[in-house]
Amino acid sequence: MRLKPILFLLAISSLASGFGQTLSGTIVDIKGNPLPSASVIVDGTDGQFAGMDGSFSLELSPGDHQITFSFIGYLTKKRSVVIANEPIAWTITLEEDAVMIDDVVVVGYGVQRKKEVTGSIVQVSAKQITGIQTPSFEAALQGQAAGVQVSQSSGVAGAPSLIRVRGVASVSAAGDPLYVIDGIPITQEYFLRGNSGAFNNNPLASINPNDIESVEILKDAAATGIYGSRGANGVILITTKRGKKGTTFEFSTRAGFGTPATRPNMMDTESYLTLRQEAWENDGGTGYVWLPNMTSASDDPTTRQQAYLQAMQTNTNWVDETTGMGTKGNVNFGVRHGGDRYNLYAGVSQDNNGSYLLGNSYNRSSARFNVDWTPKSWAKVILSSSLSRGQNNRIDAAWSGGLGDAMSNALPYYPVRYEEDQVDANGNVVNEVGEYFLWFDEWGGTKNPVAVRELKQWKNTEDRSINNAQLILTPLKDLHVKLSGGFDYLHLKEDIFNPGALSITTDLGSANRNANYVLNWNYSATADYRLELDDTQTFNFLIGSEFQRTDNYGYGLYYGQVDSPIFENDSLAEDAANVNRTVNLPSQHSFLSYFGRVNYALKDRYFFQATARVDGSSRFGRESRYGFFPSLSAGWIISDESWYTSEKINFLKFRTSIGFTGNAALPDYARFGTYSPANNGNTYAGDSILYPIQPENPFLRWETSRTIDASLEMGLWQDRITLELAGYHKYSTDVLMNVSTPASTGFTNFWDNVGTILNRGVEFSVKSRNLTGAFEWNTDLNVARNYNELMDIGDYTPDAVSGGTNDSRVIVGRPVGSFYLVEHSHVDPETGLPVYLDLDGNETFEYSNDIRKYVGDGLPDIIGGMNNTFRYKNWDFSALATFSFGAKIFDSSAKRQLGVVTGWNMREEKLDRWRQPGDEATYPRLTLDETTYSLPSGFPWWNTSLFIFDASYIRLRNVTLGFNVPLPAGSNMSGCRIALNATNVFTLTNFPGLDPEVVRDFENAQDRNMSPNVTYLTPPQERAITLSISTNF
Amino acid sequence: MTMKHFLLIAGLAMTAVSCDRLLEFEPGDVILAEDAIQDADDLQRLLVSTYDVLANLYGGRVQIINELRGPNFGAPDNSLDFTAVYNRETTFFTGINGGAYTDFYYAIYRSNVVIENFQFVSDLDADEQLRLEAEARFVRAICHWGAVKLYARPYGYTADNSHAGVPLRLESSQDPLPRAAVGDVYAAIVDDLNYALLHLPATNGVYATQHAARAYLAQVHFLMGDYAEAAALASNIIASGEFSLDQDLDRFETDLINSETIFGIVSQPNDFRSSWFRDNLRSDNTSSPQLAFSEDFAFFMSLSGAGDARSQWYTPGVRALCNRFNNKEYFNIPLAHLTLMHLIRAEALAETGSDLETAIGDINAIRDRAYGAGNFPLSLTSTAEEVRDAARDEYRKETAGEGHWTDQLLRRGAMGESIVIRNAPWDCPGMSLQFSNSENTVDGFVLNEEGGCL
Repeated sequence: MRLKPILFLLAISSLASGFGQTLSGTIVDIKGNPLPSASVIVDGTDGQFAGMDGSFSLELSPGDHQITFSFIGYLTKKRSVVIANEPIAWTITLEEDAVMIDDVVVVGYGVQRKKEVTGSIVQVSAKQITGIQTPSFEAALQGQAAGVQVSQSSGVAGAPSLIRVRGVASVSAAGDPLYVIDGIPITQEYFLRGNSGAFNNNPLASINPNDIESVEILKDAAATGIYGSRGANGVILITTKRGKKGTTFEFSTRAGFGTPATRPNMMDTESYLTLRQEAWENDGGTGYVWLPNMTSASDDPTTRQQAYLQAMQTNTNWVDETTGMGTKGNVNFGVRHGGDRYNLYAGVSQDNNGSYLLGNSYNRSSARFNVDWTPKSWAKVILSSSLSRGQNNRIDAAWSGGLGDAMSNALPYYPVRYEEDQVDANGNVVNEVGEYFLWFDEWGGTKNPVAVRELKQWKNTEDRSINNAQLILTPLKDLHVKLSGGFDYLHLKEDIFNPGALSITTDLGSANRNANYVLNWNYSATADYRLELDDTQTFNFLIGSEFQRTDNYGYGLYYGQVDSPIFENDSLAEDAANVNRTVNLPSQHSFLSYFGRVNYALKDRYFFQATARVDGSSRFGRESRYGFFPSLSAGWIISDESWYTSEKINFLKFRTSIGFTGNAALPDYARFGTYSPANNGNTYAGDSILYPIQPENPFLRWETSRTIDASLEMGLWQDRITLELAGYHKYSTDVLMNVSTPASTGFTNFWDNVGTILNRGVEFSVKSRNLTGAFEWNTDLNVARNYNELMDIGDYTPDAVSGGTNDSRVIVGRPVGSFYLVEHSHVDPETGLPVYLDLDGNETFEYSNDIRKYVGDGLPDIIGGMNNTFRYKNWDFSALATFSFGAKIFDSSAKRQLGVVTGWNMREEKLDRWRQPGDEATYPRLTLDETTYSLPSGFPWWNTSLFIFDASYIRLRNVTLGFNVPLPAGSNMSGCRIALNATNVFTLTNFPGLDPEVVRDFENAQDRNMSPNVTYLTPPQERAITLSISTNF
Repeated sequence: MTMKHFLLIAGLAMTAVSCDRLLEFEPGDVILAEDAIQDADDLQRLLVSTYDVLANLYGGRVQIINELRGPNFGAPDNSLDFTAVYNRETTFFTGINGGAYTDFYYAIYRSNVVIENFQFVSDLDADEQLRLEAEARFVRAICHWGAVKLYARPYGYTADNSHAGVPLRLESSQDPLPRAAVGDVYAAIVDDLNYALLHLPATNGVYATQHAARAYLAQVHFLMGDYAEAAALASNIIASGEFSLDQDLDRFETDLINSETIFGIVSQPNDFRSSWFRDNLRSDNTSSPQLAFSEDFAFFMSLSGAGDARSQWYTPGVRALCNRFNNKEYFNIPLAHLTLMHLIRAEALAETGSDLETAIGDINAIRDRAYGAGNFPLSLTSTAEEVRDAARDEYRKETAGEGHWTDQLLRRGAMGESIVIRNAPWDCPGMSLQFSNSENTVDGFVLNEEGGCL
């Protein structure tokens, strides 16, 4: 059955047959470059595609003929010819269509003229991506496309950004868009190493931005429908550079530095001790307050006094001890070369990105080799291959340590090192001067961020190779058969060595290695056929099938007593006698897909598209394995109508679509009920055991989104201003949730299709050439508003799904990942105690989990970006501002930094506290006792709305001053540019914390969906200044 | 290249991926549920896993939770979870109560699966089936009992025991269940233990036996105030002669099953099941262990005088450090033992006012061991009330750290005595631990009232 369409297409094309005399030639552009596969039509009815070298050859009958030459993005040319007895040879030169050449966009499994596109697609150029210093290429998409929310990563080198296309439509299944590089859906696992050290792996960090030619963001179902199963959260198509006719070289280098965009305002010793003393006295204490890691509450007053006075002698600024200036360096070299039958691109790159977090850097070495080879006029081979190694020199961050310690348990009276010998009661030296001062946090971890940074060795190494081979056959005019095979190899290795000096109890240290291998194979076959019924009607058919399989496996090594890390002594990995080795068998999944697309163009102004995709996923059982995802769309170029007369609005297009897309990004084996393996090694009293692990759900099925989209595109005053206004309604059903089930069932979690989510919104974008001439000024602005609502979660309560350790929950009628906390009202002026609001809004001093409620959410109402570019002669200046309005941020660490006085340092805002009756203060009376605030004893986590803040901001994201160096006549160089770039120049916000734009470390995909805009000791973004030079020759 | 070649290539390309078996992957490192239970050996291993969960619960965790609720332990050093239990202010955010609750029901679920899968196993004879079911119901009973004591008001809190207990899981359903009445939970526990008593073997290695079921029945009836039944059951065990009081006062022995042990947890060098005791109570590893006896307990013990060998179990002080588990990296943990039977019988007989001679004999057997034979005997002419009080005193001393005393105080409170535990009435809300938050994920489950005990 699947062959029939192909046979049909082939049969149609087989009508081509021979004639009497030959008309041959080559179709080139104005520079003489061949235009491969240009269309050659004879008498409006028959013809062929040119070969990859632009050549064509027609057998024509004697007499008059009309030949039409066309190529996407070029003006069509018609010529008449009289065929007699002699062969004729032409060279046909096509001129670029000034309007259209920039409007060719990459779509799923092909390209289209933007004019014909009926879906919502945004193109981002290479220049927009490489022009900004970012830790990873996807961060550069921020502010570039309406409706695409890009939240920048934290200051940790190589950390991932968070991208959401038109809101959040998933809860527990991954909500990230699908990334496709040169046609291959790549591995995009953020949790290969879980949340190790408060850091999620970034699968995109190893991609070299300088290899990218363009990025297309597909947003609606008409655009993403061809990716059916995985298009629900948008698709990002990445096209890498390819060779061109002739030989050119590209060289660029960049150097700079990064510092924190903002700094924590932690208290110094005097302030901390003053407030601690006040809390002690408020609680009824007398004398000097006891101090963590020096005294206890039961110590006698004299001991406490001595400790207090001693503490006053030290004032360590732990923020200074953990942050500094990170240096950045980048070198790229590329060559493009092309001949008659081949072209190639080769590029190498080295990028060293040191973060402002001392000891932390991400270094990437990469190479790419892309080849196009046309051995025959009917055959073309395309090879794309990249090889990269990303090495992350890790540190502990956020809750795990480093700057996170400086913002929490590293108290200012702790010295970095002992300043004199420490002796015990017997006079024995227990700690020598110069040794690190170590302490324990409340979870028993050994702390001192400087000691940990300098003694602990931690390295993540990611080797990645993304490869793609395509064979394109053109057996007949207008018919292309493409066979494609891709292989994406990812090897992530994490090595940690904790020296004995940090363990206190042992002289030797411990070494860990955890490695993951992800093998991702992709195979697809497509056939496309262009059928021109007459001058006014054109069909484009595409059919195809695709198979993708991913294997993820790994191993772990652990040495309890060792004096060096494994990466410094590879023999350790083979030391079977002393190593504790675990092997993770492959976790596998696959997709099997069939798809088709029909495009119909009528009179070059009415465009229709239908797509359908059937996807099967191994993650679902036989009963619900396959999903069907169709879409319908249409576009109308109103301005091309004969009756259209407006001169001001030179281009007017309306398009609309409806379609279905899906999501199957859940764990590979969630549907199975499972038990422990037979030889699991676990015993009780020496007898082996067998135990259940997870309950089965054979009815798991696709999460499905129905999207309706409509837009109006306009060009004003001969495209001096172009506008696009779009609206969408996205209704997601069967949303996959990993719900917490009553523990009394014998299990605690269960995957089920229980949710319904609505996203609807409008998007507006404008591009304006404000000034032209010697002084140019262009403005690009995009704004999007999204409304998100979780409409149904079955019989479950908000606590059924939570975002990791955050206080985000699923609340019907509210956005996904709303904050669910006790509402804080004010501080009682008489008592200084916090006043809460119960579920009815009544004031109460009683804190209780029973009165938790929706107190805000982290999803913005409005996002966007505005880029202004100015050019004068050889100079240019651009400024990109991004903005977000309406989102709340939960400053989760503030509940300890600004709450009960504990062993955490406090922020200076805490000085605004109640001190005496009548005080109007932001923060209540200080206390060391959490029950003062009515918190349960032993629970100093003050989860209230007091720490929900407005996260609206306008950020001058990027500023670039560029100078294009004038080149002397006869120079071999075709361009040379010097640019000075600054990121995160300033931010306008009312958020009192560190950074209103935050992507914290997440526990899993569910947390990633549920907990945007939660910060917990998260390092702020960096401010980077770089100088770059780029040349072409 | 001919058209035929193109067709061949295109056809192969389009069909090569059209095989549904390409979508069949099964996890390689686990067994699918439908394949997990094939024979009697699988059932046995599943049953052993219920003991494994019991070991995780009763390797000190449940005992510590119980003692922290009561008067025997002082304030924890700095553990937030322990402090929440100590202050009787657990919430569903507190990990220790949620974790224990989950484990109780892991064991109950597995027990139910054992019982429900006999029909799918062909190599199981009738006796083996009875034994497997009896053991499964034994584990199910003691887990329901453990849960209802921690997460609900005690038996007798209401006259008809209609107050909310815990979910009663007698089958492996995944459907949410509300809290059953405490009376219903106790009825099911007694039913399961009676079944176990009937069908368990007399000897069964380290696993449940007839006497184990009998010992638990005795304790359950004792808490229900059914003293005659409790005394009768305890008498049966004592009279069997299978167990003897260990004269060195150390029931927590390494690599040996103590002679008193009727049922207990086995801890081995590869699993350290006793680590909760070791890590939190041992005073020979650190001068500031996480947990210690309370000043109140130390005062109570000091009343016995230095002649009481049990005074070695603690070091007097505001934080009376516990020495009972010192010098041991791992040790077996008796849960039901002969000392308990003697003291239950003694108090039960005193409560019923019958056979005081036997009751006094029980107490003196314990005292002789503690003080030396005849050094501190209870008078043979003691009244029933004196016998009861003496039994209670010995009970508190003998089970110090074993997690029984708080239950006894709650029983007495429910029976009408005026009981105050660390300045709070015995029935203050926070005495019941809060449930796991997972029970709060489905509409209709009623959580416990929190706090109110400070």
